[in-house]
Amino acid sequence: MGDKLKQIIDKQSEQKNGVVEQLDDVVQLVGFMIGDEEYAVPILAIQEIIKPFAWTRVPQVPNYILGVFNLRGAVIPLLDLRTKFGLTPKNQGEDTRFVVLRHGDDVAGFVIDRLTMAIRLKKENIGAAPDAVGGDDSIIEGVGKQADKIITILKVNKLLERTF
Amino acid sequence: MDEFQEILQDFLVESFELVEKLDEDLVELESNPEDLELLNGIFRVAHTVKGASSFLNFDVLTHLTHHMEDVLNKARHGDLIITPDIMDVILESIDLMKALLETIRDTSADEGIDVSACVARLDKISNGEAPSDATVEPEEKSEPESVVEEAPAEEEEPDYDNMDPDEVEAEIERLLAQRQSEDKAKRDAKIAAGEAVPTMPEVEDEEKKEEEPKVEKKEEKVVAKKVPAPVKKEQKSANKESAKAAAPTKRTPAAVEQTIRVDVKRLDHLMNLIGELVLAKNRLMKINEDVEERYEGEEFLEELTQVVSIVSLVTTDLQIAVMKTRMLPIGKVFNKFPRMIRDLSRELNKKIELVLAGEDTELDKSLVEEIGDPLVHIIRNSCDHGIETPEERTAKGKPEGGTISLKAYNEGNQIVIQIDDDGKGLDPQMLKEKSFEKGIITEKEMDNMSDKEAFTLIFRPGFSTAAAVTSVSGRGVGMDVVKTNIEKLNGMIDIESVVNVGTTIKLKIPLTLAIIQALLVGVQEEHYAIPLASVLETVRISKDEIYTVEGKSVMRLRDDVLSLVHIGDIFEVERILDASEHAYVVVLGLGTSKLGLIVDTLVGQEEIVIKSLGDYLKGIEGVAGATIRGDGGVTLIVDVAALMNMAKDVKNSALNSSTEGSSAVKEKTKASDYTVMIVDDSKTDRTIMRKALEPMGITLVEAADGQEALNILKSGDYNFDAMLVDIEMPRMDGYTLATEIKKYNRYKNLPLIAVTSRTSKSDRMRGVESGMVEYITKPYSADYLASVVQRNVNFKAEFL
Repeated sequence: MGDKLKQIIDKQSEQKNGVVEQLDDVVQLVGFMIGDEEYAVPILAIQEIIKPFAWTRVPQVPNYILGVFNLRGAVIPLLDLRTKFGLTPKNQGEDTRFVVLRHGDDVAGFVIDRLTMAIRLKKENIGAAPDAVGGDDSIIEGVGKQADKIITILKVNKLLERTF
Repeated sequence: MDEFQEILQDFLVESFELVEKLDEDLVELESNPEDLELLNGIFRVAHTVKGASSFLNFDVLTHLTHHMEDVLNKARHGDLIITPDIMDVILESIDLMKALLETIRDTSADEGIDVSACVARLDKISNGEAPSDATVEPEEKSEPESVVEEAPAEEEEPDYDNMDPDEVEAEIERLLAQRQSEDKAKRDAKIAAGEAVPTMPEVEDEEKKEEEPKVEKKEEKVVAKKVPAPVKKEQKSANKESAKAAAPTKRTPAAVEQTIRVDVKRLDHLMNLIGELVLAKNRLMKINEDVEERYEGEEFLEELTQVVSIVSLVTTDLQIAVMKTRMLPIGKVFNKFPRMIRDLSRELNKKIELVLAGEDTELDKSLVEEIGDPLVHIIRNSCDHGIETPEERTAKGKPEGGTISLKAYNEGNQIVIQIDDDGKGLDPQMLKEKSFEKGIITEKEMDNMSDKEAFTLIFRPGFSTAAAVTSVSGRGVGMDVVKTNIEKLNGMIDIESVVNVGTTIKLKIPLTLAIIQALLVGVQEEHYAIPLASVLETVRISKDEIYTVEGKSVMRLRDDVLSLVHIGDIFEVERILDASEHAYVVVLGLGTSKLGLIVDTLVGQEEIVIKSLGDYLKGIEGVAGATIRGDGGVTLIVDVAALMNMAKDVKNSALNSSTEGSSAVKEKTKASDYTVMIVDDSKTDRTIMRKALEPMGITLVEAADGQEALNILKSGDYNFDAMLVDIEMPRMDGYTLATEIKKYNRYKNLPLIAVTSRTSKSDRMRGVESGMVEYITKPYSADYLASVVQRNVNFKAEFL
């Protein structure tokens, strides 16, 4: 009886280790479209994804900051990634979503054109950002390679950093 | 180690509490040097601190307090009379003690402060030498009758001089216990007599006191037993007792208050939660209103209304209750002023008396911390510039000693702190000339300035009326600090002054900072919240009442000229909606300045909770924060102080925004450049219209009702050349739609064509009133419709 129990426990812990190993290798991301490009952020940095609703404009800020909105009692800034990335603003449509990202105490909502999917990427398939745009100041964490396309992975802490 | 820290914390808290009360006691002691009760109290402080600090190995502090104790002990026993010079040394040593305690608080050690000089002086005093010229007056005998009259309720006093320290301790204990029971008895007697308690000893009292040192000396040695004190004396000691309430409460069991110490952070957290609750309450009330509208007369509605009002009531009470836990009596701030006035009057060689009132008035802890500095500056200023020297005063026929009174009281949702002095007052003409000399104001400003405005000049940075800079004031900085600090608290400053009679400064401060009453205003489609404390009044004006002076808008408000600024210019609001002939002016007052803020609409008054915009958006000029409204939307809160600053630089586009008309119309190069919207709730009707217009090759957009049509317009996706509007539609009918559209500058000239089966004359009239240009009645021929549209969009013939 005791042996059997031990075996089961051993087996379970083995499995657990296996899962941990797997998790270590794999990065989970959420992909989304801005213009024609696909971007992704780590799934753990996402607090929630919500459908667009009304926000309040804030004066005297760069144009990519749309304003603030109420997320269950908290006042949170809303940024338009299209404008931030230098694309022409587009009206929000059916597929538009607010992605609420969190890094430490910083929280902000980002307007994206369309969600694509949750992505599991092996670490070895993530390359460094191209030299030209790399470095500490870059907003790009790295480039994820998939079978048919590449995805730009964004640095959440840089997205949430005030740059004005 | 932790245990030590814990003890240390307790020690610090206790010591600071004791020291806080000390200053006031000492100053009072100076006028009543023989007051044994006071002396005992002060001695106890020194003793307690000494005991605890020696236990905690703070040698410097122990050393200092030990010597203080020596001096005080001598004074207590009557071997020493407290002269102002001795008092200076004692006060100095207490300052050192405070400094040491602060060092301990910050560094957990009492190093780095040199006390030897002070200790030497204390030693000198306790050895019987005066610190400077004045020696202890030999005790004179006074008339025996005064002994009887003034006899305090003391039993025989043993000869302290021959006691060893332990005996002294025991004696103190005994005396204390005895004193307490006496005081208690006296208080009871007093309460029974129903006497009011004056906060300051009266002048006659003090005169009497002059004689007392001698009396008490005598009584120790000559008189063995005393009759109980006469009523007069009783009253006096009771007064002192109540004035000293804070310190002795711990020791008088009769007056023990049940209190617990709570970390401020917990209270802050509680306050935040209440804030959430207030928001939820606002939301609930809004929902209740909506439901009421929709289900009028239904039974459940009454129940809902009841619940909502109970929730609202309880929330308000809860909010007040929590706010009260954060309230501190303003006496905490006032306490340090008697000492300050004493020091200043000695320094300036003036006789100044400070009268305090309303020390029990409570205000939020955060405000108590902020209000100290401004008051210091105002009082210093009153001492230095307000009160004249005794000679000048006598020459003017005023009493030799000046009076500064400091009082606090509640006025509505605000607390008012009033500082009066009976000094020389402010001379508006002189103020204007000085400011002009220093280049603070222009000559023109000087001529147009009212007296009241002139008084406010003293708050301008760089302004000073003092002929010379003294150590007390004259640098022209202090009053500027007052203004900035008070404005930071959303407070207002009011000055009144009469030359040679005195000056009154009133500081009006909101009770709390977290939850405030706000006036909600609308500009175009946006709303903003203005703290109600800064709103003086609102006025409805027509555009003709606005004048332009040097590129700035102003208006006449009764006898004043009020400068105006449009909220839209401050917050870069895009002007989509057409402004009406009338505007509302919100008159803002902050500190001493006033400004008229032009808004489109007044929405109403609401209780709002201030939320920060967070790190990402902090520091936006003119925005103090945000709040969440009943409908769940976010409304920005106006920072009135910043707004007043910004208003100086804003050029007014507010009023000459007039009509730019329809913006640059793009040249039409092909038929499909023309865009027409069809608004009709019936799919069939829309299709009929589409069929009629399609042959022209123009672009057609459909909307199923007025609301949808309006949304399409607002989105700006299309540039419409005309709209075909059905009158009867759900959600928003054609007339309302037309009225709404005409509010937008951009669409002022957009042709609206009514297509309807309503044919009566009144319908047509309404159509015209709401801005329709054509009226087509169903049924119509396709050709007719097409020709009407062509005419209205100026369809170019070549596209046909």
